[in-house]
Amino acid sequence: MLKNIENDMSNQYSHEKIIQLRKKRSAADRRFKTYGLIATLMGMAILFFLLFTIFSKGYSSFQKSVIELEVSYDQETLKITSDSTYEEQVKAKFFRVKKNAIAKALPDLSKKDIKLINKMFSINVDKEIKEYFLNNPNILNTTQKIFVTAHSDVDQLLKGNARRNIEEKKRKLNDRQLEFFDEFVSSGRLKTKFNNFFFKNADSRHPELAGIAGSFVGSLFTLMTVFLLAFPIGIGASIYLEEFAPKNKFTELIEVNIANLAAVPSIVFGLLGLGILLNVFGFPRSTPLVGGTVLALMTLPTIIIACRASLKAVPPSIKEGALAMGASKMQAVFHHQVPLALPGTLTGTIIGLAQALGETAPLIMIGMIAFIPNIPTGFTEPSAALPVQIYLWVESSERGFQEKTAAAIVMILIFLFLMNALAVFLRSKFERKW
Amino acid sequence: MKNIKISSKNVNVHYGAKQALHSVSLNINENEVTSLIGPSGCGKSTFLRCINRMNDLIDICKVDGSITVDNEEIISDEVDVVSLRSKIGMVFQKPNPFPKSIFDNVAYGPTIHGIAESKTDLEEIVHSSLKRAGLLKEVKDRLHEPGTSLSGGQQQRLCIARAIAVNPDIILMDEPCSALDPIATAIIEELIDELKANYTIVIVTHSMQQAARVSQRTGFFHLGELIETGDTQKIFTNPDNEKTQGYITGRFG
Amino acid sequence: MFYWSLIIIVLGIYSAYIFGKSRIKSNAKQLDIKTVSLPTYYAQYMMVWCLLPALIVYFGWIIFENQIIQNLVLANFDFELNPTLNPGLLIAEIKNVASNISFAEGKSIEIFNAAEHYSSLKFTSTVAFYLSILIFMILGVMIASRKLQPTFRAQKSIENYIKYFLFFCSTVAVLTTVGIVFSLLFESLRFFSEVSIFEFLFGTKWYPYIPIREGQSGSQGSFGAIPIFAGTFLIMIVAMSVATPIGLFTAIYLSEYASPKIRSIVKPLLEILAGVPTIVYGFFAFVTVAPFVKTFGQSLGIDASPTSALAAGLVMGIMIIPFISSLSDDVINSVPQSLREGSLGVGANKAETIKKVILPAALPGIVGAFLLGVSRAIGETMIVVVAAGTAPNLTANPFENVTTVTVQIVIALIGDQEFDDPRTLSAFALGLVLFVITLILNIFALRIVKKYRERYE
Repeated sequence: MLKNIENDMSNQYSHEKIIQLRKKRSAADRRFKTYGLIATLMGMAILFFLLFTIFSKGYSSFQKSVIELEVSYDQETLKITSDSTYEEQVKAKFFRVKKNAIAKALPDLSKKDIKLINKMFSINVDKEIKEYFLNNPNILNTTQKIFVTAHSDVDQLLKGNARRNIEEKKRKLNDRQLEFFDEFVSSGRLKTKFNNFFFKNADSRHPELAGIAGSFVGSLFTLMTVFLLAFPIGIGASIYLEEFAPKNKFTELIEVNIANLAAVPSIVFGLLGLGILLNVFGFPRSTPLVGGTVLALMTLPTIIIACRASLKAVPPSIKEGALAMGASKMQAVFHHQVPLALPGTLTGTIIGLAQALGETAPLIMIGMIAFIPNIPTGFTEPSAALPVQIYLWVESSERGFQEKTAAAIVMILIFLFLMNALAVFLRSKFERKW
Repeated sequence: MKNIKISSKNVNVHYGAKQALHSVSLNINENEVTSLIGPSGCGKSTFLRCINRMNDLIDICKVDGSITVDNEEIISDEVDVVSLRSKIGMVFQKPNPFPKSIFDNVAYGPTIHGIAESKTDLEEIVHSSLKRAGLLKEVKDRLHEPGTSLSGGQQQRLCIARAIAVNPDIILMDEPCSALDPIATAIIEELIDELKANYTIVIVTHSMQQAARVSQRTGFFHLGELIETGDTQKIFTNPDNEKTQGYITGRFG
Repeated sequence: MFYWSLIIIVLGIYSAYIFGKSRIKSNAKQLDIKTVSLPTYYAQYMMVWCLLPALIVYFGWIIFENQIIQNLVLANFDFELNPTLNPGLLIAEIKNVASNISFAEGKSIEIFNAAEHYSSLKFTSTVAFYLSILIFMILGVMIASRKLQPTFRAQKSIENYIKYFLFFCSTVAVLTTVGIVFSLLFESLRFFSEVSIFEFLFGTKWYPYIPIREGQSGSQGSFGAIPIFAGTFLIMIVAMSVATPIGLFTAIYLSEYASPKIRSIVKPLLEILAGVPTIVYGFFAFVTVAPFVKTFGQSLGIDASPTSALAAGLVMGIMIIPFISSLSDDVINSVPQSLREGSLGVGANKAETIKKVILPAALPGIVGAFLLGVSRAIGETMIVVVAAGTAPNLTANPFENVTTVTVQIVIALIGDQEFDDPRTLSAFALGLVLFVITLILNIFALRIVKKYRERYE
């Protein structure tokens, strides 16, 4: 009797306990799922925050500030006549025209004011005045209203990147210059327009003149080197390993090497470039040729892995068919397997090239970090590369470069996106189901 | 008495430690269809692949003994496998046209062997091969469409045309109809019958009816041994061996 | 020189091809037999024998020309008499004068003469270069043309050459590794001949500035790398403590909970995160995370440095999230379905199944992913170069400024490199340490993952 009751009680107790436990367990289940969801959302949020930060900082760099100047192309000041040849026009004294124009930029400027106001213009102004004249030579002896590029400090203030309500000493522009600034703005002579310099200039010491054209071309030459080296070598290595390699220790060594090479830090490849390519083989420093060679070695494992996977995906019956026709093994491979494996390999190669495009550290090691103010024209000319350009601008203290950095990042991300889109497109277009 | 085209003596094949063929000796006559029958895994395909040395592709496969084609030994390292295979065409179980156009499929062999002297020559060869394979009428207007766009039976005939284009003496067929429907099978069987006037044909088949229909001579394989050979008629009506009897009457297999 | 030689070589091999083809055809006609290989293969054979000698000459010239000319020019200078002369600077000066970059005025007569000598040697060398390329190509073709007989198996030889080439391609990976090891070891040995290896590995003071003049003020340079290793370790710990939980939970969510549609959206987005160049993360750390960490530290009453270990570590963690999540996702997906069903079948809920069955089964693979993540964190350069400091502080406080192996390599090699200065050479010693550690981590991780895969295959 007693035992029964006890039994009953414990049953009841344990039943309640089980219900409680079950509640606890399902709460734990939900909690666990929530953790997973939170982690995933965090990853996404970070991605969007990252992209947002960069785009919001970078987009303003696609605009530049310009100030309207009244330029009088006076033939005495220029020291040319209407009969002057083009060469003479090119050598005309445009800096004097510029000086006059700036001195009259605002009414009633003292000598000190002129000095101050001069600092609000880019040093490129006389070139812009000259270019305007060379394009319209018949404006000699007339006065033209031209928008010329403003100094980066003005630019930053106009875009709201620099603050004006701080102590004068901490500002780039002093109180008097702010007065000029306000006058320009209120008269509508200071405005922003599309920043052509950002796309057509190479690097410069002056933020308002600095552009990505030089580093872009440098990156292009570098990537071409990577492609020309890594693509054939990668395919060759894959064919050998898939089709011809005997099963021995050396083949195993090659395989292990490729697997490990894929995980060697990029900076170590930079040291290889410096220690072997530059110091032993005497490659020219800072050039796309060395940069591309180093990055090609880095990209090789990616290409080999992709190419081998696509070679493996070609059904063996195709090769057998060719062999039974009396094709040699080499013919069977090159006539049938390689063409079929090419799209997959190309996809892998583009992904590898995209990695190479973003790689910075090895290029710094081999000296592509030098300040190069012109656009390279060949593989063996010193040049910059996009990611290194970004690094150089991050490291500069001037505020004007910070938005350049973000804008350059926007550009590199666009290129990466395009390359990956191309890879996805190739994959879906040529994907073959057997 | 017909000429002996292929003659094998004491052929043994090992896959690693496993012996797949035990001392197979078989003569195959010229311009006849010889079928090899037997249950799965009996070694008939292995024997077929010895004749054009396709077993070379398998690393662990070792062939010894002697096979002669036109009285020339082919189981030897000195034999030029490439020219051997250009003399012996092969058609596989599953049709395997190259993923290229119909024309290129047939033209591939003549191109790599330099058979055609000119472009018109090549077109001539492609046309006549397709015609002999009974495919020309169906594909005349779409020679530049991919070979893979054809139906299964057409693909298999394309593979036969591809094999014929190199002008071989012998055609090996490894269960050529096993992936096809009955109508396509009938067309292929008819084709085989026509082809024997010009070629020596060895066909491996699962179907005893097929062997009875197309072949003049039949060899029966069991567990890696050649149990019995003889005229097809005799094998299917009055075999000497009990195992053959058992197999053809469907008691095992 | 490159473009002209390219044109010469292309023209050369083209004519070798034409020559080979017509010669073999006429030979075969004369003997009235068929060639054993197609005529194209004989022509290709000629091409190979035209190209190979040309390439040998070309690369030989590139490698040795400068060295030889420089030695010939410098032979006229007596460096023992003039210990102040630096051969490297001297040759640069001579080259500048020779190519009219700097004017000869004001330069000593010796340099002027040397520049003339240099120019004339360079001219001779260029002429000799083109001549020898031509001669070697013709010689190659002539010798090889003796093989143009119809019985010669040209296809077989060509295919053998191709096979050698393919083999060479596959050895590039090995050569790269050998090159890495060689360059790191060679320069490191030079470093260790000046700095004891014991000091390097166990010293606690990193001050890589050796006084230029004897008796200059300031202490002797010292190369104790412990603060650098500690800094690397600290940032790695911060990074992994961000990346591991987020990455792992993301992987669990995606492989066990998420619907296929969510998966198909999130996975590519994570791939974008993985494809962002690390310099971009560096910028992000520099302009956004570091100021945030500084204000956060101030609100806690800690004086955070503007370039703190925490900021760099956090961003590096973000960089590694997709890496950990995609590797773990693969691993979790390859746990057999039967294990899941077994656990769910006895009434366990999903979370319990994951915690008690799937994760333990997948643990080796996850450990492998973690180790690969660690190896990435250690080898990552741009984030720390931009966002971590340069001061070799020995500290465990993540708000402080620390430095890493990769940062020190970059610092040592930016600017003037002098390969007899231990400061420059220290980069290679640090690189060697980095290479060895990441290599061990990778081999270890790959082995664990491989073992794990084999278990469930």
